[in-house]
Amino acid sequence: METLRVRDAKDVEQVVRAAVASEQPLEIIGHGSKRGIGQRMATNAVLDLSALNAVTSYEPNELIITVQAGAPLADVKSLIDSKNQQFAFDPMDTAPLLGTPDIGTVGGMIGAGLAGPRRIKAGGARDHLLGAHAVSGFGDSFKTGGKVVKNVTGYDLCKLLAGSWGTLAVMTEVTLKVMPRPESERTLLLRGLDDITANKAMTAALGSPFDVSGAAHLPGSAFRTASSALAGLGAGQAVTLLRLEGIGASVTHRAASLTALIAPFGAAEPLEDDASAAVWNSIRDVLPFAASGPLGAWPVWRIVCPPASGGALGQALARESGGDVIYDWGGGLIWAALPPKPDAQAALLRQRVDAAGGHATLIRASDEVRRHIDVFHPQAAGVAALGERVRASFDPKNILNRGRMARGTAT
Amino acid sequence: MAIMMPASDQAVLDRRDAIVAALRAIVPGEGVIDTPAEMLPYESDGLMAYRQPPMVVVLPDTTEQVSKVLKYCSEQGIKVVPRGSGTSLSGGALPLADGVLLGLGKFKRIREIDFDNRVVVTEPGVTNLAISQAVAHAGFYYAPDPSSQIACSIGGNVAENSGGVHCLKYGMTTNNVLGCEIVLMSGEILRIGGKSAENAGYDLMGIITGSEGLLGVITEITVRILQKPETARALMVGFAEVEAAGECVARIIGAGIIPGGMEMMDKPAIHAAEAFVHAGYPLDVEALLIIELDGPSIEVDELIKRVEAIAQGCGSVTCQISTSETERNLFWAGRKAAFPAVGRISPDYLCMDGTIPRGALPKALTRIRELSEKYGLGVANVFHAGDGNLHPLILYDANKPGEMDRAEAFGADILRCCVELGGVLTGEHGVGVEKRDLMPEMFSEIDLNQQQRLKCAFDAQGLLNPGKVFPTLHRCAELGRVHVHGGKLAFPDIPRF
Repeated sequence: METLRVRDAKDVEQVVRAAVASEQPLEIIGHGSKRGIGQRMATNAVLDLSALNAVTSYEPNELIITVQAGAPLADVKSLIDSKNQQFAFDPMDTAPLLGTPDIGTVGGMIGAGLAGPRRIKAGGARDHLLGAHAVSGFGDSFKTGGKVVKNVTGYDLCKLLAGSWGTLAVMTEVTLKVMPRPESERTLLLRGLDDITANKAMTAALGSPFDVSGAAHLPGSAFRTASSALAGLGAGQAVTLLRLEGIGASVTHRAASLTALIAPFGAAEPLEDDASAAVWNSIRDVLPFAASGPLGAWPVWRIVCPPASGGALGQALARESGGDVIYDWGGGLIWAALPPKPDAQAALLRQRVDAAGGHATLIRASDEVRRHIDVFHPQAAGVAALGERVRASFDPKNILNRGRMARGTAT
Repeated sequence: MAIMMPASDQAVLDRRDAIVAALRAIVPGEGVIDTPAEMLPYESDGLMAYRQPPMVVVLPDTTEQVSKVLKYCSEQGIKVVPRGSGTSLSGGALPLADGVLLGLGKFKRIREIDFDNRVVVTEPGVTNLAISQAVAHAGFYYAPDPSSQIACSIGGNVAENSGGVHCLKYGMTTNNVLGCEIVLMSGEILRIGGKSAENAGYDLMGIITGSEGLLGVITEITVRILQKPETARALMVGFAEVEAAGECVARIIGAGIIPGGMEMMDKPAIHAAEAFVHAGYPLDVEALLIIELDGPSIEVDELIKRVEAIAQGCGSVTCQISTSETERNLFWAGRKAAFPAVGRISPDYLCMDGTIPRGALPKALTRIRELSEKYGLGVANVFHAGDGNLHPLILYDANKPGEMDRAEAFGADILRCCVELGGVLTGEHGVGVEKRDLMPEMFSEIDLNQQQRLKCAFDAQGLLNPGKVFPTLHRCAELGRVHVHGGKLAFPDIPRF
């Protein structure tokens, strides 16, 4: 397969126009770190954005950074970290889960839109993409949004681009909001709660004024993997984790208040700065289900549901499938690793998830499994039809990542 | 009216009686209004310089009725303008002479309060403030707080992606809504998102929010609610120069502090506000900053100290720190009353709404002063300084011939200046009719065509709220055509591997 390594937005226009003219669908990649996610695509050539890797501008006092889509995320994270800033939505590193070598590019981070634990407080990738330049399936460069945090000029196409897995347009440059990194953090840890009780503890914490910025629960089964940061926590016993961030005095004050609030669920143990950060990174990157671990061969689902129903949903799923689950977002995000079956247990899982008002995406599975099931959650007919009209409004010839988000459209 | 609206369809106007009768069959009783006197309140919204009686007003009270009205209008080729409380400052709800004005005012029930999932499910006609009031007993509130929050509806907030004083820290409407029930122009009823943090598939909720009533009619909304911060305190800091105040804002943000709100007023705005509410504002300063910090009191006290030190470092000449809720509210009283206060010193005013990069503030204010002299019209500036959102209030007298046109030209120049400085045409009021013809200042034809294609995915006939947002309307078939460039060529001139 041909790989075209574009040098600028003009190159992207040329490649897309040629692809439209010759009816050859394109696979869009940065570093290719998330190529294994989605339906199998019908593409004839690869459009590689990794050479579009410059930081266009970074203005810490404006809380804004503009970078080309192919910029390595690791480098951009180091750059903003040097100014004590961060992407507050906590982008996930999919490398450990997928067994790929690299965290990927900024474009991939936005296209996938996989936010980490702080999403409950700071929002997702979609909330941090302020503006973009992109090339549509018409082969035209367009821009949307701007380089300021407050803007309602025209439709907010950024929201669609985030999480569109490269199926609408090829982003060439993006402007992102950056936020100050908290001065300190502390995690409160509860031991031995079952999933439903843990869900209640997290709900109580998130319903408090103590500004909890992470709420996760790891059942005892999550500790069969000896992943570095988590290994010391559980020893086979479930742990529930609540994170507080901010200036030191405030964190101390809130930790005391929160400890009192959750006392009915048990005595909270504190976990300070570095240890706390390492644990949350492990949860963000779903290390209990890492490709290199004992569950590395199991398919992994990402389930998003109303947070207060997460515990019951996850517990039922684990029991009925024989799988493992971990919870983030106060129960609103469940990662489920299920024992391998030809359909990755999609029928069972989707039935349960639908009943809970959630949706599930198959993040890790073999080509063969992905060929036979819907990777992305099937939607009600009217919403799916609208989504398809929206997709076609950007890319009527279905040139960009054809079929990645919808099974049966890959031809 | 300086802005041309789409030409009226005489064939529709000729059928008016039949249309009114058909709408009465869908929405019985008082739900259809067709006499000129009764339609008067619907002639304009918050952009009162523009007025137009609609052909007929329809006030449905069920989703089914909304669906049937839209289906009927779609089949009959009749334009529809949705309206919430009619507080839009950009003319988003300005009626059309040959259009149905679809008011959602009867949708005023909160359907569900779910504290465990921290959401409220509400009908669109409920006011912004009523949501906060409904959950206040449990310590919760709904964060976006546009100045019109007593009156504006949550449906209108979603349509306009409304902001407010606290959106620097807590986000705009788009960051605080999770789902909706929406009726498309075809009459089709869809549910998007829900109580989950994200919806499946493309982020349709994200595109509906801020679409200014052009994509569909919302009949139910799910919003996130937050716990109220334990406490809030404010500083009121005066500066002898606007530049120093701008520098202070930049340094606060640069120090990693995100205040709950950070507002600036210039001298004319300070004087107007002080004369109106007697908040104790210093009158001999060129710029006043109101900086509010919220959270646990131990945190607020610490941050107050840090902000005070930064302000001193920037040469502040006055600094008051609130010691009680009464005092904090007094600081805000003048800022919140700035618009009516300016209304007392001038027969009329135009409220502009551009956003600039924070660092460009001194340049923008200098440019506005120059324009003020050029046009011979006064201006008072209030400014959401934390996020660069500027609200110049242009003072004029509509009874003096030519002054309104001059004021509008002045306003357009200010917005052009915002774009030149790296900013945007509107930070929170929306494009509507007011800024429609300025869209090409910010967007190319290709950019606008892509936005209009999206409109076609929701409303292929272009019947929903036409004449807003887009300066030139294109047919969907024309926009959807793919031009093949260069025939069946291989990929030219690109490095391969």
